[in-house]
Amino acid sequence: MSGLGRFLRLDDSLRFLSREECAALVQRIRGLAQGGGETEVDITSWWSGELRWARNRVSLASDRRDIRVHVSRALPGVTGDGNVMTNQLDDISLTAAVREAERWAHRSKHFRTDIVTSVPDFQYAKPAIWSDTSYGLTTEERGRIARALVDPAEAAGMLSAGYIEVRAQGTASTPQEKPLMYAQQTTAQCSMTVRDPEGRGSGWAGGSSYDWTRIDPEALARRALEKCLASRNPVTIEPGRYTVILEPQAVHELVAWVVSDLNKRQAAEKEPGPLNAGYDTALRLGRSKLGLKVVDERVTISHDLMDPALGVIPFDDDGWGPYPVQAVTWIDHGVLTALSYGREYAVRMLTDNVPIAPRMAYRMSGGPTSVEEMIATTKRGLLVTRFSGVSPLSEGLFTGLTRDGVWLIESGKVSKAVKNLRFTDSPWFVLNSLEQLGEPVPVFSPDAPAIVPPLKARDFSFTSLIDAI
Amino acid sequence: MAAVAAAPRPLLVYFGRRPEPAPPIQDSRLKDLAAKALEAARGAGAGYADVRLTHDWSTGGGVAMAESLAAGVRALVNGYWGFASGPVWGSDEMARLGREAVHQARTNSLGNSRVVELAPAPAVRDGHWVMPVKIDPFEISPSEIQDFLLSLKIYAERFPGTSVQNVDARFLKQEEALASTEGTYCTQRVYGSSGDFSFNLVKGDKGLGRALDGLTPAGLGFERFRDAPLREAIRRLIAEMEEDLTLPEKPVDVGRYDAVLNARCTAGLLAATLGPATELDRALGYEANAGGTSYITAPFDMLGSYETGAPSLTVMANRSEPGGCATVQWDDDGVVPDEFTLVKDGVLVDFQTTRESAGWLKGYYAAHGRPFRSHGCAAAASAIDAPLERTPNLVMAPGSEAADFDDLVAGLTAGIAVKDMLVDVDFQHSSGSGRLYYEGSRMGSTYEVKRGKRVARIVGAGILFRAPEFWKSLLKVGGLASAQRHGFLDTKGEPPQNGCHSVTAPPAVFKQVTLIDPLRRA
Repeated sequence: MSGLGRFLRLDDSLRFLSREECAALVQRIRGLAQGGGETEVDITSWWSGELRWARNRVSLASDRRDIRVHVSRALPGVTGDGNVMTNQLDDISLTAAVREAERWAHRSKHFRTDIVTSVPDFQYAKPAIWSDTSYGLTTEERGRIARALVDPAEAAGMLSAGYIEVRAQGTASTPQEKPLMYAQQTTAQCSMTVRDPEGRGSGWAGGSSYDWTRIDPEALARRALEKCLASRNPVTIEPGRYTVILEPQAVHELVAWVVSDLNKRQAAEKEPGPLNAGYDTALRLGRSKLGLKVVDERVTISHDLMDPALGVIPFDDDGWGPYPVQAVTWIDHGVLTALSYGREYAVRMLTDNVPIAPRMAYRMSGGPTSVEEMIATTKRGLLVTRFSGVSPLSEGLFTGLTRDGVWLIESGKVSKAVKNLRFTDSPWFVLNSLEQLGEPVPVFSPDAPAIVPPLKARDFSFTSLIDAI
Repeated sequence: MAAVAAAPRPLLVYFGRRPEPAPPIQDSRLKDLAAKALEAARGAGAGYADVRLTHDWSTGGGVAMAESLAAGVRALVNGYWGFASGPVWGSDEMARLGREAVHQARTNSLGNSRVVELAPAPAVRDGHWVMPVKIDPFEISPSEIQDFLLSLKIYAERFPGTSVQNVDARFLKQEEALASTEGTYCTQRVYGSSGDFSFNLVKGDKGLGRALDGLTPAGLGFERFRDAPLREAIRRLIAEMEEDLTLPEKPVDVGRYDAVLNARCTAGLLAATLGPATELDRALGYEANAGGTSYITAPFDMLGSYETGAPSLTVMANRSEPGGCATVQWDDDGVVPDEFTLVKDGVLVDFQTTRESAGWLKGYYAAHGRPFRSHGCAAAASAIDAPLERTPNLVMAPGSEAADFDDLVAGLTAGIAVKDMLVDVDFQHSSGSGRLYYEGSRMGSTYEVKRGKRVARIVGAGILFRAPEFWKSLLKVGGLASAQRHGFLDTKGEPPQNGCHSVTAPPAVFKQVTLIDPLRRA
């Protein structure tokens, strides 16, 4: 039996495609190509075990898996390429996909310039991204964990809603004439919201990692319940500028946008924004702020994929062939030291062949101050659990909402819960208005791991009150 | 091999040992395949189970063609749901999915009790339905679509000063077979399409960019491009842009103004506020850990009495209107969705429901002499995903007078008129802001109105609103002919699923809307 028959046997021995299966699949797809040219194949196959609960009862438990095979064909003498996706692995389906890609390659007006003639023999790192525990967390265990998380909230008369997911994925990519790039990774996440049955308060906590054992569900459950109880019956305060103490999750909701800006060197050079230094009329080039101080000197933002808490797939492909993801320091003690760029930029602008891979995984440096000390040293300010719906406005400004607990701090003490607020501010301003930093910790970020400190910043701009609790 | 490559249905099914090409969805052997899953689920102890087989095609957005098969089984055991899915259509796999769904459900049914009462639904016996579209985009040459888009671009660029920025057309087709242990078996085919067409216009040292606003997602085929008066729309839009360039620009003067919103803005506000707020599962906290809850915080107490808006506000829902994004013959519970009213003369009179969530309203319906049934809002993106309660197509009732946007503007002594807005709401879908400018500029399509005329373009504006007050401030609603349908994408659930529904709304006038400068910090 061909590939599909093989997949039929993926009951519980292997719930996604192995390196060998992907290599064989790529071999078959290449063999099906007609008319020469290049064949690129990207394969992702995944399994996910999920459990969802609400109103203190499990509302759905699920076991799902799927495959995505992307075939891209470029033909000699034709400038276009054709991209086709299928989730079937038999020869007939794959042949149809390859032919369809070839027809589109002929038809495509999409322009492609082949600046890259060969992919060097890169060395690839082997980061920690696989956990047998995550892969082996059974339906029964997920159910038991959920019950243990719900029980304290139910005993306190509150309503708990949450989600547990463990996922395994095999990702394969094909460099020209080189062995297959393959990585298998797991991800695990657990998050929950505890609400007062009358809707007077809400608390949240969440954790994510490639490794389920790095998540402490009981601690999350305690935290979500405490937050909910402490957030009840909030009072109204006037919007305006406040000193804020942002818990690590809240910092992450903002700094993720900073990291997103760091992922775009060309935008930083060409478009107005926080990392653009204007147009150099002598050189006739747009300039980024590389080499300039952009935030408080206590801030370093970096990513090392060999950090056991920050592993990512060790290769990337921006359409010009795969290359290794390497450690990077984006911001070093406040100075902008790196911005991400692809291979085309590397070759054209830097006469280099190695891009800096974009990525959302990061570590932000911290400081010596605990959240308790930050509170104790604050005359008047707000303590924020997390933000929701953060979105760009224009000109580097963002808006978003506080969610699941905001408290007023008066004379060094948390005095009362306050109603949620909308902010209008820039994460870059926040990183320039720092007073104190705490110890960096892993935050809830299922798509890309992040280690982030709590912080205290001046003059954070809240622009309106919102109703939602 | 050449003959096989030309065959339109290459994906394979395993009815027996040997693979064969996936047949059209009406093929009776698929019913036997589905039955395998139901037998396995029943054999493993399911009180209720259903199975879906989906075959998806999509094109556009840089991918020439994406095609996939999926199978998913849902099982109910002692009030707990389990779900299992995968990419294989095969009899052994059906049995595995049936057993696995029960295993998932059973694991959680061991602890605390949970009661699920599914609202009754008559079993569907071998139903088949095809969404009526004029041109199946997957049955014509892709070159025809590309050439058409190119011709539009050439047409637009004939106007002096125009340059087209973005042109795309996206299509999808889904065939689905659904079977349940209650004897339902039905198959259907639905379509979806959307497009982008945006361009800049430069006159002298002034310029601006706009997009055609009639290409939002809809349940239509290629006819929505080929047979639609798109050239006329381009011509009209260019004329409007030229007029805009003659208007003076004015910085935002923060304050409260009567505001005329065009059909798309009104629809967008409905999609962001009352749409999600009247999902019953959301109102009860089932989405609390994801997208949030509802400002209808006590659904059972508020039903039948809560004033959601002005008496002129009536909102109906359906999954049957031709061209609707959420239009189907059967929902993912196998229910024929009915047309129902959510808000009548300003008062909340119903919720969006599935068979499960309608069960929560059984007592209310009985007490008010109303039929106990689901409104048919169960939907999943494909058989890989478990069904959720999703927003159906919404229709805001038009006013009795035949007034369009321009008439409403003409009736305004002083205020603002808004033609484009990006809405952003809180996690109870209540407090929100509308952004009245385009990304990367401070300009939008917001105008100062004096004595019934647009006299200036307002720079960098936004509105702030609270949904309950906002809908109560509805002063006047445009007539039937002025209503437009627009498609809105949304995300719900954990794991998140994308969905789409249409909202039809007329332009409307709102009293004393708060105009702000959204880029001003406190």
